Amino acid sequence: MSGAPRRRSGVGRLLATLWILAVYVFLMLPIVMIVLMSLNAGEILAFPPQGLSLRWFVALFNNEAFMRAIGTSVLVAGIAMLVSTVVGTAAALYVVRHAGRLREGLRLVLLLPLMLPEILTAIALLFFLYATGIGTRTMFGLVVGHILVTLPYVFTNVASSLFNYDASIEQAARSLGATPAVTFRRVTLPLIKPGIITGALFAFVISFDLFNMSLLLKGIGMTTLPLQLFDYLRWDFDPTAAAVSTVSILLTFGVVFWIDRVVGLRSLRFG
Amino acid sequence: MTHAVATATRLPRLPIGQRAFWLIAPALVLIGVFLVLPYLNIVVMSLREPAVGAPYGAGLTIGNYTRILGDGYFLGVLADTLLLGFTTTVICLLLGYPVAYHLARTTSRYQSLLYVLVLSPLLVGVVVRSFGWLILLSGNGVVNRALLDLGLLETGLQLINNRLGVTIALVHVFLPFMILPLIGVIQSIDPVLETAGQSLGASRLMVFWRLVLPLSWPGIQAGSILVFVLTLSAYVTPVMLGGAQMKTMSVLVVQNLIDNFQWPTGAALALILSACGLVAVAVYARLTSLLMKGVQ
Repeated sequence: MSGAPRRRSGVGRLLATLWILAVYVFLMLPIVMIVLMSLNAGEILAFPPQGLSLRWFVALFNNEAFMRAIGTSVLVAGIAMLVSTVVGTAAALYVVRHAGRLREGLRLVLLLPLMLPEILTAIALLFFLYATGIGTRTMFGLVVGHILVTLPYVFTNVASSLFNYDASIEQAARSLGATPAVTFRRVTLPLIKPGIITGALFAFVISFDLFNMSLLLKGIGMTTLPLQLFDYLRWDFDPTAAAVSTVSILLTFGVVFWIDRVVGLRSLRFG
Repeated sequence: MTHAVATATRLPRLPIGQRAFWLIAPALVLIGVFLVLPYLNIVVMSLREPAVGAPYGAGLTIGNYTRILGDGYFLGVLADTLLLGFTTTVICLLLGYPVAYHLARTTSRYQSLLYVLVLSPLLVGVVVRSFGWLILLSGNGVVNRALLDLGLLETGLQLINNRLGVTIALVHVFLPFMILPLIGVIQSIDPVLETAGQSLGASRLMVFWRLVLPLSWPGIQAGSILVFVLTLSAYVTPVMLGGAQMKTMSVLVVQNLIDNFQWPTGAALALILSACGLVAVAVYARLTSLLMKGVQ
């Protein structure tokens, strides 16, 4: 009996559980509060809500500025996702399969945008666009900024799925006469598809929520959803803001649950 | 067997290096042109002369640095920002460690759901999260209403436009960055070690203090550095919850870029903050490495 691990005393266990529970409540509180507020039937952001209603979602739908901002955000996030996915997947293939001794160094270079503070990168890009005459009149700078930030997410997710299976499968296909292109399409691609999908979806969500980069690099008259929400909150503090936040929260959580169902959340890579 | 070897040698050697290099070329060009060059350019910008009517002048000077380092206001904001980074990191560690330990060791079937809960602040946009805290903490917000209605207070508490509000929201935003590295490290500590320690007569607290905590140092170090650096460069949360009362360096930098149109000052401020952050991280990494060595 003396060898059995001692049970933690009742009080200690209870305190630890309460502490952990409190942290979870703390983590969820602002998000839950926003969703509740968006369903409020009353005129102001009051708690508890005065009845349930979808009126603020209707108000959001009729708010031209917000709808245009959502359109811009989807466009920028879509372009950033496409470019990051192609460039990031190719880079992951090289780093994992061909880089040899350079592997660790190149991995760090690819992760650089993630390790440097987003706001500093945005500042650097602003100066650079101005100095080179590219400027911020077009969407170019904004999109490049978003691609830089999303690239590491695609890269790490694809690289980790490449690590998960043996390169000998590809070599077998090659030795049986398949060209590199056929090998990639018929062997490699199906195997790393979960990694590519996770990386791409993640890139979209990250870009959709990106603020600092958009703040500094947006052109005149251009505005993304986080920027529009930020501006709106300066003057108005009504449930329309909660409704638009809820839409953005639902989008993110939808993607996360989808990733969890398709490939499992544990495979998600943050760097 | 001989046949296999024969085919292997007859095959064209798989391109190692050069031939496949085009795969990584786009990524390297992207990072080289739009990340490395612009960062080098910040240094040049910080040495430009200020100008009127244009973001910067043509000449070069170190005047921006001497002016900032001789200005009590800037130095005060710098100290405030570093202090904010320190307090946010410590609170994140205190809140996050028990959660990370639980998540690393639990066999609950809700583990996946708990993992999503921890990740969720990371995945929701920073403006949305800060807005959530505004709803909770503002003068007429949920927290004040609840306290007033319960009769616990006579007048509402000042929870935003000050250090408190900014700290609460920053802890919320960066807590996942503390918890995630800790989960990884704690999972790599074999639970058998803990059972062994206890069977040798050590109390649970002793096992934690002498065994689990020292072995967690790499995770604590990684998480702390991440949270500290992220806090120093945070912009949205200090602006939304700090108002005019609680300014951080990032807020000053953006103010100089967008409102005052003083790009050289903004660049110099950003570089001074980065340098201070790097020194702080280097000192911390050195100290914790010594501690880790002491453990072995």
